[in-house]
Amino acid sequence: MTLAATFLGGARSRLLPASIPFSFFAAAVVFHVAGWAALVAAAPDVAGFVGGLGAPLSSLHLITLGVLVMTATGAALQLLPVATRQSLPALWPPRLIFWLMVPGVALMSHGMAAAAPTPLVIGGTAIVLALAVFVVVFADNLRRAKSLPVVTGYGWAAAVSLIVAAVLGMVLILDSDRGFLGDRLALAHAHVVVAAYGFMGMLALGFSHVLMPMFALSPAPSPRLSWSGFCAAVLALLLATGGLVFGFENLVLIASAVALAAVVLHLLTMSQVLATRMRKRLGLSFFLIRVAWALLPLSLLLGAANVLDSAGPRGPALFGFVLIFGWLLTFLLGVLQRILPFLASMHGSRRGGKAPLVSELTAEIPLKVHAACHLGALVLVTAGIAIDSVTLVLAGALLGLCGALAFALFALLLFMRLRGGTRNAVREAGS
Amino acid sequence: MGHGARVWEAEGTVHIDVRGLDPPQPLLAIIELIEEPETGGPVIVHHDRDPIMLYPELAERGWDHEHLAAPSGEVRLRLSRATA
Repeated sequence: MTLAATFLGGARSRLLPASIPFSFFAAAVVFHVAGWAALVAAAPDVAGFVGGLGAPLSSLHLITLGVLVMTATGAALQLLPVATRQSLPALWPPRLIFWLMVPGVALMSHGMAAAAPTPLVIGGTAIVLALAVFVVVFADNLRRAKSLPVVTGYGWAAAVSLIVAAVLGMVLILDSDRGFLGDRLALAHAHVVVAAYGFMGMLALGFSHVLMPMFALSPAPSPRLSWSGFCAAVLALLLATGGLVFGFENLVLIASAVALAAVVLHLLTMSQVLATRMRKRLGLSFFLIRVAWALLPLSLLLGAANVLDSAGPRGPALFGFVLIFGWLLTFLLGVLQRILPFLASMHGSRRGGKAPLVSELTAEIPLKVHAACHLGALVLVTAGIAIDSVTLVLAGALLGLCGALAFALFALLLFMRLRGGTRNAVREAGS
Repeated sequence: MGHGARVWEAEGTVHIDVRGLDPPQPLLAIIELIEEPETGGPVIVHHDRDPIMLYPELAERGWDHEHLAAPSGEVRLRLSRATA
């Protein structure tokens, strides 16, 4: 083998076997359906939800761990080595993470819904182990990264947040059975902030610096603006976590203001990306991403209103729904519907022959149905929580379930088209 | 040429060197070059990595890619319009 071929082999090895990222994405698609179905079952208890075991908590974690973390893990394992030009040293850690995460999330969400300590603890332990392996792999890749310093910075913030969120989560699980915590609610609030704004939020903001320019075909945004947004986001997270754990409400309010500044800086960065883009038609995915961008500051305002006790008795549920289903889930589904066909095409070209076209792999109608149902569900559930209407929450959750099924159909059609395309490519290569 | 890439012509073939550029600059420079109306023939890309994210964009625009032999530390590609 020539030196050039060796180098090329090394470069190509940064793209994991298709089965690894697509297993994570397929699991996320299934948990997405399960998450909305659990919200249907939880509908009577959603508006008054302030924490504690039950169907609403189960639905929330099917979405956060089953969809958001599952997708983020698959995307990070696939994209980070490509972006940082550092391949993963072995393939067994991603597979181990997957096989710990999937049963772990299923068991833990069952334990939450049924208030059953045994599956809760076993599932939680499996998830913490999976996340521990992921943090080691992720941190090792970040440590060896030679480019994209802003993305790497966000990656480190996400990694540290994940460790804190997992530890807090495990403490909360153990406490739900034994009740040793003095102020369980404060720790639960810190867990929500560190997991949603820390791990998932930092990953979403960080990867946006790579994915948005790639999707829109734009130059990288101004490093000064990017770094300013990053510093504000990290400061806000530190202030909010400290304020919640030690009970300083004023600190949490200052954190909300700093977080809003971080969001403004991030959105200015993204508007710079979109203003200089070569691709004029951005499609449905960017419509969802723009809705998510609007819901991010709204979640912060709702969080601050809860701290000030001015959001009313349904404020916590409203905040949780806008944060998880509104900002994070909408953003992720916008990204996922763009990245799935793109990754499939990348893997198709790797197998030799012509790369399958992204446009041919994308089933537009299920995506349109999904977007309409998802946005309708957001409006209905939000309104249902706001006016304490079980009927509206139920209607919204059912609409969300239809949307999740449409998204699953999109993923299934993509897989079938990819398999069909690969078979044709192999046939052409053989003829 | 924008995005920091170097473009030249040798023996009737256009070359583009995107080595040392951070993503997504190489992708943009190559797409911009092949979308220029006067770029009809093959383009030789000099890269420092296998640009796997470029291939779906090339396919979508009706271009094929082929890996060429290259010195150590370089990935060299030949891009050409796909034949029907």
